[in-house]
Amino acid sequence: MQWREMVGRLPLPLPLVEVRLQLWAVLLGAFLVVIPHFLSTFYVFLLTEMAIVALFAAAFNLLMGYGGMVSFGHAAYFALGAYGAALLVKKAGFPMLPALAAGPFVAAAGALLFGFFIVRLTAVYFAMLSLAFAQIVFTVIFKWYSFTGGDNGLLGIWPAAFLKSPIAYYYFVLAVTALGLAALYAIVSSPFGYALKAIRENPRRARYIGVHVKRHQLWAFVLSGFFSGLAGALFAFFNGSVFPDLAFFNKSFEPLVVVLLGGMHAFSGPLLGAVGFKLLETFVSSRWPVYWPLVMGAILVAVILVAPQGFAGLLARLAWWRKR
Amino acid sequence: MPSKHGTLWRVVGVAVLVAFVLGSAGVALAARKTPIRIGEINSYSGLATVYTFPYREGIEMALKEINDAGGVLGRPLEFVFRDDKLRPDEAVKAARELVFQERVDFLAGCISSSVGLALSAWARESRFLYFATHCQSSRLTWDDGHPYIAHTTNNTNQYVRALAKRAATYPYTKWAHISPDYEYGHNLWEEFWDYLKQLKPEVQVLKENWPKLGESDHSSYITALLQSGAEAFFSGLWGSQEIAFVKQAKPFGLFDKLHFFSASVGNPDELDPLGKDAPIGAVTTGFAWYDAGLQTLHPELLDWVKRYMAWSKGKEPKLGATWGYATAYIIAEAIKRAGSTDHAKVIGVLDEGFTMEFPWGTVIMRGCDHQALPPQWTGIVRVNPEGRPVLAEVEETHGKDIVRSCEEVKRLRLAAQKK
Amino acid sequence: MAFLQQLFPWITNGPLILVQVMSGLSVGMFLFLVSAGMSLIFGVTRIVNLAHGAFYMVAAYLMSSLVSLFPGHPLWFWVALLVSSLAVAALGGLIEVTLLRRIYRREHLLQLVLTFGLILIIGTLVLMVWGPENRTVPRPTALAGSLDIFGQPFPTYYLLVLILGPLIALALGLVFYRTRWGMLVRAATVDRDMLGALGVDVSRLFTQVFILGSWLAGLGGALAAPVVAVALGMDAEVLINAFVVVVIGGLGSFAGSLISALLVGQLQSFGILIFPAISIVLLFALMAVVLIVRPWGLLGRPEE
Repeated sequence: MQWREMVGRLPLPLPLVEVRLQLWAVLLGAFLVVIPHFLSTFYVFLLTEMAIVALFAAAFNLLMGYGGMVSFGHAAYFALGAYGAALLVKKAGFPMLPALAAGPFVAAAGALLFGFFIVRLTAVYFAMLSLAFAQIVFTVIFKWYSFTGGDNGLLGIWPAAFLKSPIAYYYFVLAVTALGLAALYAIVSSPFGYALKAIRENPRRARYIGVHVKRHQLWAFVLSGFFSGLAGALFAFFNGSVFPDLAFFNKSFEPLVVVLLGGMHAFSGPLLGAVGFKLLETFVSSRWPVYWPLVMGAILVAVILVAPQGFAGLLARLAWWRKR
Repeated sequence: MPSKHGTLWRVVGVAVLVAFVLGSAGVALAARKTPIRIGEINSYSGLATVYTFPYREGIEMALKEINDAGGVLGRPLEFVFRDDKLRPDEAVKAARELVFQERVDFLAGCISSSVGLALSAWARESRFLYFATHCQSSRLTWDDGHPYIAHTTNNTNQYVRALAKRAATYPYTKWAHISPDYEYGHNLWEEFWDYLKQLKPEVQVLKENWPKLGESDHSSYITALLQSGAEAFFSGLWGSQEIAFVKQAKPFGLFDKLHFFSASVGNPDELDPLGKDAPIGAVTTGFAWYDAGLQTLHPELLDWVKRYMAWSKGKEPKLGATWGYATAYIIAEAIKRAGSTDHAKVIGVLDEGFTMEFPWGTVIMRGCDHQALPPQWTGIVRVNPEGRPVLAEVEETHGKDIVRSCEEVKRLRLAAQKK
Repeated sequence: MAFLQQLFPWITNGPLILVQVMSGLSVGMFLFLVSAGMSLIFGVTRIVNLAHGAFYMVAAYLMSSLVSLFPGHPLWFWVALLVSSLAVAALGGLIEVTLLRRIYRREHLLQLVLTFGLILIIGTLVLMVWGPENRTVPRPTALAGSLDIFGQPFPTYYLLVLILGPLIALALGLVFYRTRWGMLVRAATVDRDMLGALGVDVSRLFTQVFILGSWLAGLGGALAAPVVAVALGMDAEVLINAFVVVVIGGLGSFAGSLISALLVGQLQSFGILIFPAISIVLLFALMAVVLIVRPWGLLGRPEE
């Protein structure tokens, strides 16, 4: 039992994992570029989905891991990005790429509007107000038949001709996700990112040294909404249709679960979480179409009890042992 | 064919005997034939299982019969089941897995209409034939129809029109309704009202109620209905929500004051749990296999029910079981007629349309929209001598006699394209 | 007035308004039972228990099985009510001791994922034990009918709830404000660490609170069972409503949950008369407005 307590007292395993990330980033990139040629089409789709979820979770973790703000309603911005892009295609006749590029701005605008109210709260109230706004977004999408199609959704949102093939779209998503993650990484390593971390650790102290706390938090919220919206827009063209479910509250728990499984204190946490969670989910639900929730639930509970710092925490623990 | 089960069993008997005589070598040869695989995506966990479990049993029973009779084109027919978690995006993911990993030949399934629409959009883009099954939105094959979708069960239009037709025989002119506030609920009410008005132009609606889907307390709507001054009302509620509604409305005396017309309260998944609280006298739709009139009309029905109950270890068949059973046979028939699993050829068969006999009557697969037109039943809720609520005074209307015509469907599709 | 009457024809119908108020009150009482438990658990242990709705569902299913053992027996209904809610309390205690207790010292959000896992597990177990069929619980014979209130029928069972709800609220109030244990619970809501430092066995207190909260969820489910369909998926519906009530009332505030539950009950009751088209969004709009104007809820405490 002693190792458990020692790990509990470990300093945040942040730097270790991030050095590793930079070292391996190039190799990983090369691997991801080559690998689809050795996989069946389904795994190409799965990798695409993982990349989208990883981007969504990383955007979410900008708030949770770095800003200490937990949103229970991030599906709203995912959905705003998806619907923003889909509506531009359907109603304004936009081509795919401009629509995709505009999606995140729709989400960011939503994040600015709601975030203005949400960041004035803290902790669980922050979470609850974000949930309330997400449910309002869901309801508006669900009810506004003439514009959003209501629960009939919007159908036939497909990528441009040159991105039609699964591998082409995979590369596209991979590239966009890589850019998005690079941008997020730049954000968290910038002075802004450090200010955000300072606010997470001690808001009052941050204020005393001259950080405008609420403004930083609002910016973080908008940025997080922007990248969530980007993930949502990628997802819309990936599935070819958008439905109000994208904004429903159980979708909001997805990035939360992914990040907590992966480990919220490392930049790589959401990425590891996305890969692990999607692999698990895919395997479990195709193996047990009726009883998958039981298996999945049991795995979640077990992971939480065995590895409370997530996959990234496990890696850090390994590295720490080796150093001894 | 399901109706010729007598010969079928004889064929099975002979086949088994022959296989026995030929010995294990012959059996091994038959087993080596690659099956025709259908990827079936439906909601197999959570709240829809009350419908999908009987549906799946219907499929599996039909598969057993089909394969015992030699399969399709000499190959066994197989269904691979996946859960859609009631979410359209999960359904699309399952479709990818089934098509690219499991290498299924066709896709089938849906209970939520949004899942059906999402799969349909995916099928259209991927040019992969998809059979919508348990979900019933008429958008599937009409407004959003295309060559790569077929619908193997009735759509809302048919059974609601059957109910409206029966409603028109009553003297009521003042109506109200309560329907869940989402596409399916709106669709039900609009189709009902549209047809009732055609048959009986003097009807008027006094109060509309749109509780949200899954609402658990309906007292405010019940008092609103009581106050509306209507003589009769239509309910598009279904499942657990309608059970809750009926249980709550009973002490208010709602069913004594207004005549109750419901799209789905006649199904056993609602009547049985309601028991003593069932709305006696309500006019509704449902699969009343126990009705003597229906059994006279379809002499093979009772025998099928017995076989189903033996298959499902004593469970009585529900509408969903007939849908699952019919789905497997319709897909098998389409492949048989096409002579291959080639999608273009199967679509050609669907375009021509075909007719099949089932123990509960004729099912037409209509060519112009790939829409199944089965018989529709309406009845009145009564208590049988054992004290159990059942459907009585059952009337049959065939879907083909009330459904929107091919010309109307064409117009719907054009209107949807213009949007 | 004439304008109002044109807009809302029911506005001069006194009896209708009365019945509407009363049915809103009974809805509020159901909401109160569930959300009081959730709020209590959160206040003391800081766990947002997503499995709270699942507990409610289990109680309703237990009720459906128990009541059918001796149908029609006048007392049995009450025994079943007690047994099924207590069984759920025991289940809650078991989960707290074996699972949640292990991770109190970790990232507090991990408990959220754990309870999310519990939703999945409990939902499937219910499906395996009771099967997919919808179930119902008959009302006790004495409460099956309705009473006449100024010419409007009102179901007797709701009257029972209208009486039972305040009684339970009163009992809980007495426990919280008049006993030593209640004092400890209130102290734990304010500062758990201080309470621990003062020598109180906080871990045991957590377990007790979790059991009480689960019992309230169970009682809510068992009491609601006769007026709803006992079906899979009832957990999610009630969870969302309880969430909203708790947040509006103020997390951890017992009186807040009561007021907010009654408020939400009235909102549902009149919302559909006044804004039938957007009644679906009213609940969350109210929650958003409350959080914007008074972020810590009606009777909650502002955070440090």
